[in-house]
Amino acid sequence: MSQPPPDQPSAAPAAPATDLTTLFPQGEGIQAQIARRQRNATIWRFVFLGATSLAVIILTTLLLSIINQSFGLVAEQTNIPETQLIVNYQKSLMLEASNVALSSEDDAALAEGIAADAAGVGLLGNAYTTQNQDTLRALSIGGVAPTAETVQSGAYPLARPLLLYTTATTVADKPQIGAFLAYYLQVADEVMAEIGYFPLDEATLAQQETTLLALLGATELPTIVPAEYEGDIVIAGSSTLNQVTREVAKRFRAEGFQGAIKITSVGTGAGFAGFCAVDGGVDIVNASRTITQLELESCRANALNPVATVVGADALAVVVNAQNDFATDITLEQAGLLFSSAVNWAEVDAGWPAEAINRYIPTTDSGTMDFFVATVFAAQTLADLPYDSLVTVFQANVSAGRCRAAEAEQRFYADRFVCDTEEAFTARCEGENPTTGCTLAPRDHASLEALVQAEVIQPEVLQAWFLAESIFRRDEIVATALEEYPSADVHFRRWLTWDFITRPQSATPELAGVRTAILGSLWVVGIGLLAGFPVGVGAAIYLEEYANKRKRFNSIIQTNINNLAGVPSIIYGLLGLTVFVRVLEPITSGAIFGVGDPTTANGRTILSAGLTLALLILPVIIISSQEAIKAVPSSLREASFGLGATRWQTIWNHVIPNAIGGILTGVILAMSRIIGETAPLVVVGAATLITSDPSGPFSKFTTLPIQIYQWTARPQQTFLLIAGAAIIVLIILLFILNIFAIYLRNRYARRIG
Amino acid sequence: MENMEEVTPLPKSTSVERAPLNQLAKRPRVGEIIIEAALFIAAGISIITTIAIVIILMEEALRFFADDRVSLVSFLTETIWQPEANHFGILPLLNATLMITAISLLVAVPLGLASAIYLSEYASPRVRGILKPALEMLAGVPTVVYGYFALTFVTAILRAVLGKDLVQIYNIASAGLVVGVLITPLIASLSEDALHAVPNSLREASYGVGATKFETATKVILPAALSGVAAAMVLAVSRAFGETMIVAIAAGAGPKLTWNPFVSAEPMTGYMVRISGGDLSYQSLDYKSIYAIGLVVFVVTLILNIISQRVVARFREVYE
Repeated sequence: MSQPPPDQPSAAPAAPATDLTTLFPQGEGIQAQIARRQRNATIWRFVFLGATSLAVIILTTLLLSIINQSFGLVAEQTNIPETQLIVNYQKSLMLEASNVALSSEDDAALAEGIAADAAGVGLLGNAYTTQNQDTLRALSIGGVAPTAETVQSGAYPLARPLLLYTTATTVADKPQIGAFLAYYLQVADEVMAEIGYFPLDEATLAQQETTLLALLGATELPTIVPAEYEGDIVIAGSSTLNQVTREVAKRFRAEGFQGAIKITSVGTGAGFAGFCAVDGGVDIVNASRTITQLELESCRANALNPVATVVGADALAVVVNAQNDFATDITLEQAGLLFSSAVNWAEVDAGWPAEAINRYIPTTDSGTMDFFVATVFAAQTLADLPYDSLVTVFQANVSAGRCRAAEAEQRFYADRFVCDTEEAFTARCEGENPTTGCTLAPRDHASLEALVQAEVIQPEVLQAWFLAESIFRRDEIVATALEEYPSADVHFRRWLTWDFITRPQSATPELAGVRTAILGSLWVVGIGLLAGFPVGVGAAIYLEEYANKRKRFNSIIQTNINNLAGVPSIIYGLLGLTVFVRVLEPITSGAIFGVGDPTTANGRTILSAGLTLALLILPVIIISSQEAIKAVPSSLREASFGLGATRWQTIWNHVIPNAIGGILTGVILAMSRIIGETAPLVVVGAATLITSDPSGPFSKFTTLPIQIYQWTARPQQTFLLIAGAAIIVLIILLFILNIFAIYLRNRYARRIG
Repeated sequence: MENMEEVTPLPKSTSVERAPLNQLAKRPRVGEIIIEAALFIAAGISIITTIAIVIILMEEALRFFADDRVSLVSFLTETIWQPEANHFGILPLLNATLMITAISLLVAVPLGLASAIYLSEYASPRVRGILKPALEMLAGVPTVVYGYFALTFVTAILRAVLGKDLVQIYNIASAGLVVGVLITPLIASLSEDALHAVPNSLREASYGVGATKFETATKVILPAALSGVAAAMVLAVSRAFGETMIVAIAAGAGPKLTWNPFVSAEPMTGYMVRISGGDLSYQSLDYKSIYAIGLVVFVVTLILNIISQRVVARFREVYE
């Protein structure tokens, strides 16, 4: 850098202007000129600074735009939500368990059963518990007993709202429905308390009244005179709410209602089924849980838009016989055990007797069951289910044909078949077209999970929004998304997750991951460096230490290397394709060693890709190693020769140790370059979809940049988003490998030098 | 050193004593020879690589031209590239490549030169310490990432500003702009080296006669470093010409002869990637055609690289 550089012309005069004009009349013009030049210089200074800063701005924009793509709101739709799948599975386990003494929608029968069975345990609404206080006892959960306070404050974990569902069209068509609902809300508190449930608090009640007003299209709640209405009312659903609704209906009729009210206790699920079906005939659903996504979808499919009215609250109680003297307080987890896997009481709590548990539970349609399972197993995901359970879930949710096909691809168990048969399998594997299942090892937990995700849950992102929009226009987006995709769930999604990094490649973008690609990248880059490093450094040593620079041949080599450095990388791809993939196929496919991957059987392998990249980085390594070797002072060599060392001894003991830092810097540069290299590998022949990890140099390959390219080339928006997430992974990988290499260089260079 | 005089001079060696010494010197050292041979082979691999590239490209290109459906004349003059209809005119592909190169230079030359001047002539060590690594990082971003950036960001901006009717999703302009970003650090870093090599005496002389910093940089230093700057530009052209992933992602598929930078037109390298990424047989004419195109890309970039090296060698001003 130069000395204090004048930003203004050095001729700038310091004397006052007045003196100057008299002494030197042309001065004003010169001064103006100087000022102009100063101004120009300043302006250009900022122009240059701006242009240079643009690098920082572009870099920031690039990173931000990629982050912007990788996170944001999505409207996601599933065939069946994961939580629902788990609820269904746990419910079926509970119902099919051998120690179920009674499964009924008649809560009175359940209460009677437990009352008569000292080892009995059951799930009952608060009303039945309070009505049968002499024979039954509710357990507290986590130290919280079900009371009005704990239910209203939410401290009791199994507290739940009781709801009535109807639709605006039903209310409009049948005035008696609206009247009944309004009447219900008026008397709800009284009836709830009377039967043994919990009334609404003020705020919730006010909310429900607003909902009702909107439903009725009125501005003020009318005073209902039941005698003014006629027509039928059909109510179906929860057994829990059944008693309350019956009582309300009794009063409604007692005040003069002319029509018939038909109430059935079939369970919340069955209630919704009748309600959402075309001509199902159900006007109001008694619900002991909120409507599920699936039920909502089936309703909307028939142009029905269910509206909920909360009428009270219940505490679902885990109830034991009054004579049971050991169980008083359990955790939520123990509650789960009590109704699922535990067979006797000692399994739930070591202090309890080893007596069999007799269960008294509602049926599969019960909202109580759904609510209980969903609450107790809320944190469970597919990953928590044991392998056998996942197989059962998969088998139960796909067609037999699809299950057989999945088993043909890869078996579930090594020793038995789930959907296929031994004979069919053997016949196929000995036939002309053996499937991949014949050679592959059975599935592991992770791959089975991926299968269930892809085939059963089938997540699909219908639309995604970028991070910036998702933050600044959140409400607007959520509103339009709900309108446009009624069956979808709108939520914030991070595309870059740990799952994304550890999952294998998949044809479904929502489930795809980059594990295969990361491993592929490491393999290919590793082979590239392993082959490129010794050859490159060797060539540099030859050129600097052995070659006679005046000889024409050696200067040709030098020029040639400089030119090779400028050859576009795609040309190396053509070279690799022809030499490694086609000409040297027996070697690169591994056939000559007899270890080839049977699924590949051609030269498009990790080895070919790695060798191609080795050629690509050769000039980079040679040139930087040459620079490093040149920098070693010749006095060192001369001293070594003077002591009688041979040329190689000199190089090995003195030149290389002194140049190693610079050489390794070149290797790091080369590595950074080939990690991101895409074009030559596409030409060499990267695989488009491989879901299994590379097993060695003769496997098919894909790498992270190739994955990004392939996803970017797809038209669907979702692929672009995961490509963005993969780019972040690539940048992080680049960063980590660089840091690691720099650390190694510093350590290694210090020890030798 | 002080004892020098006490050292008795070595007796003149007799011929009897010299003989084993000579033998020692001439004794062939097998290890050394093997090592030298191995190192020579390592150096020779680069020559083999070059020869292999030339032979492979020539051979496959010849096979391509040997086909009845293709002729060298139509390859160079025809304006349609439709392999399925046996039209193999390289002009649409070449045109797209040249347009992208031109657009990239429009971005990179002013930016790169301005950055070089700023870093070499203006920047304080602190500012330099921030801006130079940023420029280098820009050069280290994988090209596939730039391609993604072009497609999802630059194209989106272009479409938002100029209208969706005018700008297609895949277009030459966004590919060219981003290739420009890619080669800016190359121009900046090589030009800066050249500017830096200009001796300080020139600067001081310029300041001495009252020139501003801007005047010194543009009228004294830049002309003095012109050969290095020119070489940087030529190298940048070569790099833009051979750039593949950005254009493959952002410029679109389907060769088209057009002057409109806002429509999609496939450049040479983009075509090569698309064909080789597909599942065409090695024997198909399309597949052979990528070698012919590869030969064109190789020759053009090689000529540009050689020019760049010659420019530096011949016009380098030797100071002091």
